[in-house]
Amino acid sequence: MVASTLGNNGAKARVEDEIFGRGRDLRGSGFRTLLLSCLGVSLLVLVVLMVQVVSDGWSVLSTRPIDFLTGVLRSQPGDDALGISQGLVGSFWIAVFVTFLAFPVGIAAAVYLEEYAKQNRVTTIIDTAVRNLAGVPSVVYGLLGLFLLVKGSKYTNWLFVHPFNWFWKLFKDEAAFQGQSTLIAGGMTLAILVLPIVIITAAEAIRAVPSSLRQGAYGVGATKWDVIRTQVLPYAAPGILTGTLLSLSRAIGEAAPLILVGAITGRLAPRESVLSGIGSFTEQFADKFTAMPIVIVGWIRQPGETFQPAAGAAIVVLLILVIAMNSVAVALRNYFEKKRG
Amino acid sequence: MTDVGINAPELGRVSEISIETLAGPKKRARKEAAIRSFFFFAASVSVLISVLIVGSLMKETWTFVSEVDWSVTWGEIGWFPRQGLYDMPTLLVSSLIVTIVAMLVAGPLGLGSAIYLSEYASKRTRKFLKPILEVLAGVPSVVLGFFALVFISPQVIERIGRNGWLVIGALIIVVYLMLVLGWARQLVRREAGTELSTQVKRVMVLTLLVASALILIWWVNGVAGSSDPEAANFFTVKGSGQLAAAAVGVGILTIPLVASVSEDALASVPDELRQASAGLGARKMTTTVQVVLPAAVSGIVAAFIIGVSRAMGETMVVFLAGGAADQAEFTASPFDGGMTMTAAMASLATGTDSVVGEALTFQSLFFVGSVLFLITLALNIVASRFVNRVREKY
Amino acid sequence: MPTSFQRTVRTIGALGALTLAATACTEIGPEPGSTSAADTSGSIFISGSSTVEPISVRVAEMFESIAPGVQVDVEGPGTGDGFKKFCDGETDISDASRAIKEQEMENCAANGVKYTEILVGIDGIAVMTNPANDAVDCVSIENLYGLIGPEATGTTNWSDANSIAGEGMPSAQLDIFGPGAESGTYDSFIEIVLEDLAEERGQEATTRTDYNAAADDNLTLQGIQSSPTTIGWVGYAFGAESDVKLLEVDGGDGCIPATPETIASNEYPISRNLYIYVNEKKARRNRALVEFVDFYVSVGLDEAVSTVGYVELTEDSKADVRFEWNG
Repeated sequence: MVASTLGNNGAKARVEDEIFGRGRDLRGSGFRTLLLSCLGVSLLVLVVLMVQVVSDGWSVLSTRPIDFLTGVLRSQPGDDALGISQGLVGSFWIAVFVTFLAFPVGIAAAVYLEEYAKQNRVTTIIDTAVRNLAGVPSVVYGLLGLFLLVKGSKYTNWLFVHPFNWFWKLFKDEAAFQGQSTLIAGGMTLAILVLPIVIITAAEAIRAVPSSLRQGAYGVGATKWDVIRTQVLPYAAPGILTGTLLSLSRAIGEAAPLILVGAITGRLAPRESVLSGIGSFTEQFADKFTAMPIVIVGWIRQPGETFQPAAGAAIVVLLILVIAMNSVAVALRNYFEKKRG
Repeated sequence: MTDVGINAPELGRVSEISIETLAGPKKRARKEAAIRSFFFFAASVSVLISVLIVGSLMKETWTFVSEVDWSVTWGEIGWFPRQGLYDMPTLLVSSLIVTIVAMLVAGPLGLGSAIYLSEYASKRTRKFLKPILEVLAGVPSVVLGFFALVFISPQVIERIGRNGWLVIGALIIVVYLMLVLGWARQLVRREAGTELSTQVKRVMVLTLLVASALILIWWVNGVAGSSDPEAANFFTVKGSGQLAAAAVGVGILTIPLVASVSEDALASVPDELRQASAGLGARKMTTTVQVVLPAAVSGIVAAFIIGVSRAMGETMVVFLAGGAADQAEFTASPFDGGMTMTAAMASLATGTDSVVGEALTFQSLFFVGSVLFLITLALNIVASRFVNRVREKY
Repeated sequence: MPTSFQRTVRTIGALGALTLAATACTEIGPEPGSTSAADTSGSIFISGSSTVEPISVRVAEMFESIAPGVQVDVEGPGTGDGFKKFCDGETDISDASRAIKEQEMENCAANGVKYTEILVGIDGIAVMTNPANDAVDCVSIENLYGLIGPEATGTTNWSDANSIAGEGMPSAQLDIFGPGAESGTYDSFIEIVLEDLAEERGQEATTRTDYNAAADDNLTLQGIQSSPTTIGWVGYAFGAESDVKLLEVDGGDGCIPATPETIASNEYPISRNLYIYVNEKKARRNRALVEFVDFYVSVGLDEAVSTVGYVELTEDSKADVRFEWNG
């Protein structure tokens, strides 16, 4: 039958149609559309969300964008000085804590797990701990912070408060941290929260390092540390950086643990600038604090809808920060994946 | 763990060939050992944190468990921690409602996205589509809480709820119309041979358009008329928010997680299976539904369990949009305001570092935390079993 | 003995301070004839009632402009939570929407915390319903006990209250919204409205437990607006600003509407005093705290209390308060 109609173009198309099922497989293309629309719904939600927050915050963002960033928390929504500087400062310090506590420890742990650890019981325990910590809800980390760092006790003070104060005395003569709702408590809690994410992403990056690199280095007499320092870490750096950026953006967006640790939701007076001396620099660490998500929560919960524009504008700022970090992270990953492809 | 072909010189082991040249100076070996123990210390921090979490939960939980009158934790009218009523079913049922509704949103959407990305999308379209989920994954939960409060609740839940029956009715009529039209099409086909005349097609499309326009007008009328409080029905939103709106918000947050774990599972199905299926003449859809999905089922189950665990642990969305603060009456309806375990904890702690109340109020915070911790831990352990099963299989 | 590291860090810090001081001078410039408050520095932490919080925040904002060196932080977890912290010595000032309780006094005494009580304003508690509710215009104290008191637990209709206390409530679905137990408004409502009747009837002085309680007054207002036959109570400042119907209250002398005048004159039966408590020991050590309270009782009482929606003290009581603090 095919042979007899070979010369006929229409018939050829028909046969191809039969074979490839294009345009005929109604259920198939319906299924495909359905699957695509799942992604479409996510996209739609994102677009509606962006439109909603931008239109809520537009009256603030369009009239005084810079003043809003540098302004302070005020009780009247129409106040000219209203802004989010305290929130930005708090979130910045939290990012500093995450960077200086979670990143070194997390990356070092990943190096141990990938480069040193043997298949034994201890390794299994560490591995299980990391995996399970990644699944612990963020409020529970808040409870940890509340119990260890805020309430404190004789034993927990030895673990956290005393070492911190010892470190403190390098900068200031008096011990500052008394185990209350301070920036130290908030920053440490979030550093602990993102630690498993840092470990897992860094371990993935290190696992992707080709073993030929290591062997080459060993071949010319390098020690294990040399290999890690000169071969493994540089090669894994982009992947590690991606993971750290993702965890940083997670830390900046978290509110629940900070609420439990006791971030100030009322009025936090504007602090002296960090630039005005080391005194205020260290004081901020042992001081009451707030952060971007907490400022937003405070405004959302204000009576009436008078603070909705301010809340919308603050959310836009937070989203820009978080999405920028995520995009840089993803772009970085894609760039290096392509380069090494 | 290390995949080093030529191992670093073992310390202190003597062989015939000059070990000094191989092992290097003692100082170097000591330095290596010190570095190794530094890395080991860093790795063991996560074990320390796990222990500290359990420890800090346990102390106050124990106080609560040993001192509480157990009759106030079950079957009371609600969760009133500052008045000494710690009704756990109130929190558990609310958590369950939020989790179920959230998974109704996140399950199909996450899995559908994963299947599309892994089975259908070309490399190029993937590059455009994947970031949707990545951006969504990065949205902080306070933002979703705000969104649930100002958009999902009034614009989606309340609107659909108030006209719930109208929508359901409209759906039934549309389905009915489609069935009738399909039957008519078959009839016409049988009469007119294989090809449908364009005129018949036109009539059918016109009928469908008129019908949908009528339904739309009817629906809009329903929306306009619903400002009358008398029109309130079972779905009418009572109070300041509701679990359903918060749950949809939680679901949206969970989509990327379900999608990424499912996608991993689908990607781990070997290509040979797909090729064999295609070779047998199966269409893409058949291959996907009947070959790939069953092969990846463990991983997909894991994705759903991890999603459930994430939805149960989500705090801020329910805290902001769940419609109850500080205390809540027992409710089993998603359209009431309610309080999940997480929101109850955040409420107790709002604005203050020291939760003050009657007797065991502070301890109840840790008790709820322990219950939540145990549930999510169990879910995560079960999920990792499923993930391992996929790994072992292929 | 500072280490060299410390010195380096300090030098950097001092440089930063210089730059900042230079910019500060160009921007603001020294105020000629400014009061002593301008050069005071220090920090003040205020916790306590969420009802008084707006007053304290307002005063803090006004004080900030004359004393830029003083940081005033305010939070509002509730009067009870506030006194707990105050008596532990964690806060300098405690906002309170009721007078301190006996047990809290004991706590303070046990920790050696001495304090000064200062009356700052008066708040009426508004009893309100949905604007669409035409059936009720006035409620008596007995009605309120029947609707919201401990014996009302489980009732779902306004008319059920008639069989408990009072009379004249219509038959309609009953939904109740009010502040949670940590709120000063909750305590005051019990104290002013429920306590006497509960005692008389041999009941515990508390509200029914099955009402929609919110820590945030905004949620209470939203609740009232959500259905036509709700009842609820909230501070007058919040109630008067919103789209709800304030009910007249009969305390035995006929129905009295809630207005600033009736509240200030104590005609309106459900009103309460607002206080701040100042830690005396901290005031002695911290000049900023004394100056802040000075400012609070002078400018604050005149300007802040009314702008955030509460009722100012009469001139006589203001004079009394000032005399007591300054003397």
